[in-house]
Amino acid sequence: MNKLTDSLRNNKSYLTSLVLSIVAALLIGAVLMLVTGYNPVEGYAAMLKGVFGNSRVFGNTLAKMLTLCLTGLAMAVCSKAGMFNVGGEGQLFLGGLAATMTGVYLQGVSPLIAVPLAFLSAAVVGGFYAWIPAVLKVKLNVSEVITTIMLNSVAIYFCSYLTNSSGPLRTDDKGVLGGTEAVPDAFMFDQLIPRSNLSTAIIYSAAIAFICWYVMKKTSVGLEMKVTGENPRFAFFSGLKKDNIMIWAMIASGAICGLVGMFEVYGYQQRFLDSISNEFYYDGMLVAMIMNYSPLGIILMSFFFAVIDIGAGAMELSVGISGELSDIIFAIIIFLMAAEGGIRKYLNEKKIQKKAREELELRKEAK
Amino acid sequence: MQESIVRFENISMQFPGVLANDDVSFDIKKGEVFALVGENGAGKSTLMNILYGINKPTSGNVYIKGQKVEKFSPSDAISHGVGMVHQHFMLVPSFTVAQNIVMSKEPRKYGIFYNLKEANNITRRLVEEYGLEVEAEDTVEEISVGLQQRVEILKTLYRGADVLILDEPTAVLTPQETEELFQVIRKIVEEKQMTVIIITHKLYEVMAISDRVGVMRQGKLVGVEETKNVNERILASMMVGREVLFDDIEKTGEPGEVQIKADNLYVADNRGLMAVNGVSLEVRAGEVLGIAAIEGNGQSELLEALTGMRPVQRGEFYIQGEKSNGKTPGQIRELGLAHIPEDRVATGVSLQSTITENLIIGKQRQSAFSKYKLHLKQSSVVRYAEELFEKFDMRGSGIETAVGSLSGGNMQKVVVAREFSFDTPILIIAQPTRGVDIGAIEFIHKQIIKKRNEGCAVLLASADLDEVFRLSDRIITLYEGKITGEFKAGEIDKMGISYYMTGSRDADTQKEEGGAQNE
Amino acid sequence: MEILAEVFNIGLLQNTLRTATPVILAAMGGLLTEKAGIMNIGMDGMILVGAFVAVSFSFACTSAAMGVLVAVLVGILIGIFFAIFVVKLKSDEFIIGMALNTFAGGLTVYLLRSIFGVKGTFSDKGIVSLPTVHFDFLEGIPVLDPLLNDNSIFVYLTWILVFLTWLFLYRTPYGFWLRAAGEHPESLETAGISAQKMKFIASILCGVFCGFAGAHLSLGYLTMFSEGMSNSRGFIAFACVIFGMANPPKVFLAALLFGFLQAVGIRLQSVGVPADLTAITPYLATVLMLVYIVASGDRKKKNKAKKQLENI
Repeated sequence: MNKLTDSLRNNKSYLTSLVLSIVAALLIGAVLMLVTGYNPVEGYAAMLKGVFGNSRVFGNTLAKMLTLCLTGLAMAVCSKAGMFNVGGEGQLFLGGLAATMTGVYLQGVSPLIAVPLAFLSAAVVGGFYAWIPAVLKVKLNVSEVITTIMLNSVAIYFCSYLTNSSGPLRTDDKGVLGGTEAVPDAFMFDQLIPRSNLSTAIIYSAAIAFICWYVMKKTSVGLEMKVTGENPRFAFFSGLKKDNIMIWAMIASGAICGLVGMFEVYGYQQRFLDSISNEFYYDGMLVAMIMNYSPLGIILMSFFFAVIDIGAGAMELSVGISGELSDIIFAIIIFLMAAEGGIRKYLNEKKIQKKAREELELRKEAK
Repeated sequence: MQESIVRFENISMQFPGVLANDDVSFDIKKGEVFALVGENGAGKSTLMNILYGINKPTSGNVYIKGQKVEKFSPSDAISHGVGMVHQHFMLVPSFTVAQNIVMSKEPRKYGIFYNLKEANNITRRLVEEYGLEVEAEDTVEEISVGLQQRVEILKTLYRGADVLILDEPTAVLTPQETEELFQVIRKIVEEKQMTVIIITHKLYEVMAISDRVGVMRQGKLVGVEETKNVNERILASMMVGREVLFDDIEKTGEPGEVQIKADNLYVADNRGLMAVNGVSLEVRAGEVLGIAAIEGNGQSELLEALTGMRPVQRGEFYIQGEKSNGKTPGQIRELGLAHIPEDRVATGVSLQSTITENLIIGKQRQSAFSKYKLHLKQSSVVRYAEELFEKFDMRGSGIETAVGSLSGGNMQKVVVAREFSFDTPILIIAQPTRGVDIGAIEFIHKQIIKKRNEGCAVLLASADLDEVFRLSDRIITLYEGKITGEFKAGEIDKMGISYYMTGSRDADTQKEEGGAQNE
Repeated sequence: MEILAEVFNIGLLQNTLRTATPVILAAMGGLLTEKAGIMNIGMDGMILVGAFVAVSFSFACTSAAMGVLVAVLVGILIGIFFAIFVVKLKSDEFIIGMALNTFAGGLTVYLLRSIFGVKGTFSDKGIVSLPTVHFDFLEGIPVLDPLLNDNSIFVYLTWILVFLTWLFLYRTPYGFWLRAAGEHPESLETAGISAQKMKFIASILCGVFCGFAGAHLSLGYLTMFSEGMSNSRGFIAFACVIFGMANPPKVFLAALLFGFLQAVGIRLQSVGVPADLTAITPYLATVLMLVYIVASGDRKKKNKAKKQLENI
């Protein structure tokens, strides 16, 4: 019976601090609104209305959620195995472009063939782009954090070159600033809610999220990843192929990011623009970090983030409060959680010292 | 009677679960070389870290030159004139020798600028004064370990230390460098009236260099003696202590086939220095081969090499007859080997994972526990973990507890349970009961012998001589990476074997004596 | 030939200096934290806040000096804030850096909207820009006159700061302590100096440098504040630190190289070569450089082990 209480107790205290941090961040947001001359009640009300007001805005919120959720899971998958993929943004760009071009070139082919190929190209290209830093890390011990940051810029500029001004993949259409040819309508995902960004991508996303959760929590591979990430020496000692695990976790992470890029295009943008993502991956990373890389937590938290994000945009339109409030709130949650973690560590050390003193007293008395 | 320069008064140091120092009191006199000996984990380093202000004792007082130490920090210790050369050097690798020596008390120009020239001059003057040859402008990462140690000593001298603590100073030195170090110690004691405290477990060094010697065992001070009144035998018996009486364990069966064979192995340690120097051995089914060696004589590296954790530089080894050089731990395990590592926290467990997860690792792809090698059969896994939890008598709040929150004994039981239940014909076991309570020791010992009686080939290394004697059918001694003796159980006692472990006798003298007896 | 002449002329060098200056400033800050053993990817946010504060106070006090001063003060505060998390509470420096960037991006835009009532860009005649410097003696000298005359004061200040950074790190005891804190903190601690304290100082100095960089960006390079105007300069600065192996002159050159490639990119655009391609080079170069550094270090170690064996 008591076998679960321990892990529950740990989770419970984490959840408590998380809820407190969120409440505190929202309060700080309210204070900020007050200080800058707005009515926070009005602000937050506008936020809620902007999310739950009608089916269209709610659809947009869900679309945002799936992006956050997938990027968050991409981060979780690799960091579980001890790899830090900061390069999701670049993988997203390249995967999105690959899927778009697959669609463009396969115009006229049956969607039953073309769309799966688009999936494949997005995942392969995204995965390949994550494989590079993974191999550099595993074989040469080059920090993957730094290389992925650099490779982000490389990918983004490269995509921008290909699809802008005189780039080779730029559309011939007049009247657009840039971007590729449009993906044929037949290949586009169906809209689930009219005029919203929500498409059947949410079904694919749910499938990906389920696979991530399943692999990480229910399989031998997930266990191997966890052990590798937590103590690579122990993994090696136990006979696990830790290098492979790390590389494949990174590839999986890149593949998911590539698919996110594809979903952006096939979900509603229809052509690849170099504005395909506004640092979506970084938002997802923040979600994953706040939730300690727990798959279920990421799914829930990405909904909360989406609500704040989409709500803040609506708030800006209706009440005139800058929508960037959402970023401020996110950042404050992270700071508070980090502070809480640090303070808890400090208190723990104190507790250990106290315990040691008590232990000594007991020994003395026993004598 | 010389005056006391350092005085420990009822020092106790309690770490969570471990009483590292237990009511230790003694004096160190001005101008002497004081050796502090004891097995690893006996509490020597903890005590010296207290003197140097790194640790604050849980209770008790330290007096330096009659003054009670109020604040425990290295800078306070330095201002009291205490200097320490740590086992792991405290040097900045990219700085020059001179820059390391003057660090924190740099010579300055115009108040804020670093006078680099003067730093070099200071270093040269120190070198001349103490005769510790080292080039001021060399970069520390490019000089030898022996020279780095000199830099450490010069560093303490520059800061005006008159009490110098050397923590296992000879562990990383060649015999010649050791002799040079001893000359330096004698010189600074005689000419500069310094006090030197040397932590070691090499007994002949104690005899060679010290005036007095303190022996520690399991956190307690066993005794302080004038070196001239003792010999290595007496010291060894103090270190090893009285015999812990266990019930005899019944050993049955005869040794069978050779399961582990090593042929002239050379293995390097983490620094790239050769730690195992040409070891050859055989372990047969149904026997325990014990390695008796004092910490740091190559036994760790040897076992790591045989399990695939560490590359072999030269020589060959065979697991169940198959040449296994260059194989990964996973490949070697497949040949039928399980391994209890020396450092369970660093190597043997995943702290943040649960007991269940730690028990199942290695079997997670077996059909008993996963469908298609992938889908974990949760109920079988839990049943298996609970079975082992019972069988290996683990205490605590259940199989979903994170291993990191377990006591040393329970954590070790997790490792033992996992490794033993692979049912391999070969077991390589390092320090099976370090930091483990008596009850658990007895339990683990019985498990090892049970394995032996079932026909397992066991290679065991332990710093605990009682353990080696109790469990082994044959014992080899290792000293500086070489085998210095081989004995059958009952052929030699602990006192006798300690000569071989400390390098004062080796296989050649053993043969001679054996020959003499035969005559 | 004509194309070459159009791209490679004195204007190119002028542009290089101008575009490199904010990056150099931030990179010097990043270099200090890197030397102290902190991976600082929060510089982008630090620059952004600096730029915003500088414009705000230049406008409010009608004084560029006030703008710079307050930008530096705020930089100090951010440095302390960063250090409290990363050094004192031992939070993950990566998470805090990312959060800092997000926070800065959000806060500056929010305040821009709330205080100045604009979205996107705030430019006003009331913003006092930083003065330019004119040397009479350079007049009429080819190359030097157009290159070194009439630059914003920060361009010159930056060169001095690079020298001061070097002087601090390699010619004062404090610089040695700071480097020791990053390379081998235990040795500093056992010498009786707090490594934490040195890391705090590095973090604060980084805040100051990023404050300078921001102020230059919004009062020297341009005279306005626009949303996200740091434009990943913090990350470029970080790349320069890695590329230049955290050595002030090398990092300085790396930043100049970045600026040069950017300037070439802008110019190549006018002759039809896409700027995006030239913009890739520095990042790619950083990755290759990193691989080279690590691989050559590896080789050294292996050679050491080999030598050992030969002696057996």
